[in-house]
Amino acid sequence: MTALSPLVIATVLVAGSLGAVIRYLLSRRFPVRPGHLPGGILIVNVVGSAVAGVVLGLAERAAVSADWRLILVTGFCGGLTTFSTWSVETIELLDGGRWRAALLNVFVTLVLGFAAAGAGYLLAR
Amino acid sequence: MRNILAVAVGGLLGTGLRLVFDLAFPHADHEFPLETLLVNLAGAFALGWLAGGLWRRPSTPAWLKAGVGSGVLGSFTTLSAVMASLVVLEREGEHLTAALYLVISVLAGLAAAAAGLWLGSRIGRRRMPDTITDSGETL
Repeated sequence: MTALSPLVIATVLVAGSLGAVIRYLLSRRFPVRPGHLPGGILIVNVVGSAVAGVVLGLAERAAVSADWRLILVTGFCGGLTTFSTWSVETIELLDGGRWRAALLNVFVTLVLGFAAAGAGYLLAR
Repeated sequence: MRNILAVAVGGLLGTGLRLVFDLAFPHADHEFPLETLLVNLAGAFALGWLAGGLWRRPSTPAWLKAGVGSGVLGSFTTLSAVMASLVVLEREGEHLTAALYLVISVLAGLAAAAAGLWLGSRIGRRRMPDTITDSGETL
């Protein structure tokens, strides 16, 4: 990770941008509704964690180069998933008295996200 | 279409900012991923501050919310890196570091978002009444 070529950096940025657009479209398609989990954000966070796990596993047996790992994990998965929206939406659920939905949003995201990343890693390595 | 373009440009910026942090403060596989934690806390606070204040004003254009909220801050912060780091820390046998990282990320992240929302709404209220609620779709 010492000498990154400008092409790799540019590809990381474009991959992150693509991830962000997919996340935005899904969050529009499955918006925040009272009493419901923020569906679009949950989906991208779990899918992004799974993809990151798979790429980590592939990278471990050198099936994916360090450059592609950076492009896919730091770029695409980083852009696709989000921590800020997840935490702000959780606090807004709490603020609206929806404490059960808030707790559920925390636990479902963490459990499914970790399970997805772990399963992806174990299957791919 | 303008909103999607704003998200795409914001996504470039947010990813670039996070990449700078990652490269400036790299961590070994068995170490605490401090740079991701700091990025996530800063992003959660900033988004909370905007969602509590500027986002609630009717004059705030939708493309700005999409570009800065979903685009810049959404891509700057990351959940997949947290999960990937947890998997790697577990592989390395660093169970205590993994548990600490998870608990600190969640509790401090929610606290940062709450502090941001609270501060943003305080500053926002001084200028205009808090009557317009955000539908949340561009968060």
